[in-house]
Amino acid sequence: MRHTFETMGTVVSLEGVDDRTVEKVKSIFAAADSRFSLYRPESELARIASGELAMMDSSVELRTAYADALAWSSLTSGAFSPNRPDGVVDLNGIVKAQAMQSAGGLIDSGGWREWSLNVGGDILIAGSTVQTTGIVDPFDRAKLLCAIELRPPRAAVATSGSAERGDHIWLGGSTGPAEYVQVTVVAGDIVTADVLATAIVAGGRSGLDEITERWDVDVLAVDRTGAMVATPGIRESLAA
Amino acid sequence: MRTRAVLGSIFASLGVLVIGWQAGNAAVMSATTATSTTTPTTTTSGGNSGTSSSGTSSGSNTTTSSGTTTAAPVAPTTGATDGTYAGSTVNTRFGPVQVQVTIAGGAITDVTALQLTNTDGRSVQISNYASPILAQEVLSSQSAQVSNVGGATYTSQAYLQSLQSALDQAGF
Repeated sequence: MRHTFETMGTVVSLEGVDDRTVEKVKSIFAAADSRFSLYRPESELARIASGELAMMDSSVELRTAYADALAWSSLTSGAFSPNRPDGVVDLNGIVKAQAMQSAGGLIDSGGWREWSLNVGGDILIAGSTVQTTGIVDPFDRAKLLCAIELRPPRAAVATSGSAERGDHIWLGGSTGPAEYVQVTVVAGDIVTADVLATAIVAGGRSGLDEITERWDVDVLAVDRTGAMVATPGIRESLAA
Repeated sequence: MRTRAVLGSIFASLGVLVIGWQAGNAAVMSATTATSTTTPTTTTSGGNSGTSSSGTSSGSNTTTSSGTTTAAPVAPTTGATDGTYAGSTVNTRFGPVQVQVTIAGGAITDVTALQLTNTDGRSVQISNYASPILAQEVLSSQSAQVSNVGGATYTSQAYLQSLQSALDQAGF
C-alpha cells in the first residue's frame, strides 16, 4: 500500500508502513516546510532572508542546518553552497534530504523493515530485498533512462539537474550552462547522495572526478548531448 | 576537455598494446604482466612510451563511446593467447596512463583503465572513475519492472505527469 502526500512543493510517496507512521512522517516534512521554505513569507528562513530576523537569533534547528550546509560547502570546495549569489541563505539543497533522513530514522524505530520513501524523485529505502528503481530520462520525462537495483546499505539515490527547477543549482562562480543536465548519485545515506548530486551538476567533470575519488558513491551523469558517464558501481547495478 | 584528454590517453596506451599485439611484438607483451586489477601507485615510465603519447590525444575522441565500454570485440588478425594483460605505463602530456586488456578466443573482450590522471596532474582513483557508458548498455535496463522512479526533483505539478504518479496510482 502506497501513501502519497504533498509537502515542500513536491510529492512524497511512502510504501511499507501503516497510516499512523505516515502521519508522523508528514509532520516531519511539515515542520521542515514551515521552518525552511522561502516561498512561505512567515517561515523562519524567509524572515532571515527579509532581514526581519538575525541568523544569530534563529532557532537551533535552523542554525544546525545552516552549519551542516556550510560544512558540505567546504567539503565540496564550494560546489554545493547554501549562500545564494544574491546573499540569501537558501537551505533547500539540504533540508529535504535531512527531513528524509529523520523520517527514515523514525520509520526504522517503529520497527518497519521493508519500506521506501520517495520525495520528489529522491529515494531512500530499507530492507533486505533489492528494490529496482527507475531513473527518469532528462530529455523525455515520460520515459525511463535506465533502471538500477538499490541494495541496502547502498540505500539512497538522489538526482539533480536542470531538467526541472533548472534554477536550483548555482554554478559556483561560472555563468555558463551546466555540463551535465542530470546527475544521479547512489550512496549510503540520502543527504550525501543529494548534496553530491547537486555539487556534481555545479562542478562539472572536475567536480565529478573529485567526488568519486573522495566519496564511496556511484554516479550516473548525462550531459547536454545525451552522452553518459557512469562509475563501475552503476554498471553493476543496472537491472537485467 | 578533460574527458577527451583522459580518453585520448587511454587510446594512446591501448594503441601501444594493440600494435604490439598484432605485430606479434614480444617486446610490448613481455613488458606486460598478467595481473588482477590492482591500481599501481607509481608513475613509471617506459622506454617506448614517449612516442605513442604525443599525437593521439586529440584524434581519438570520436571513438570514445564505443571503445571504452566492455565487450566490444576487436577482430584479431593473429592468434593471441587468452588472458588478461596489463600494458606498460605510458607517459602522456596529461600524466601516466595504463590500461589492461582481456583477450578471450583471440579477440579483445575488455579494456580497463588501470591508471589515469586528470589534467591537473593528480592521479585519478580508477576503481571508481566515471567512464563513458554506451546508451544501449543503459537502455537495456529500461524494461525492468521498477518499484520507484527517481529523477531531478519534480514539483507537485510535474508529479502528475511523472511515472512515479502512475506507480502510486497503481498501488504498485
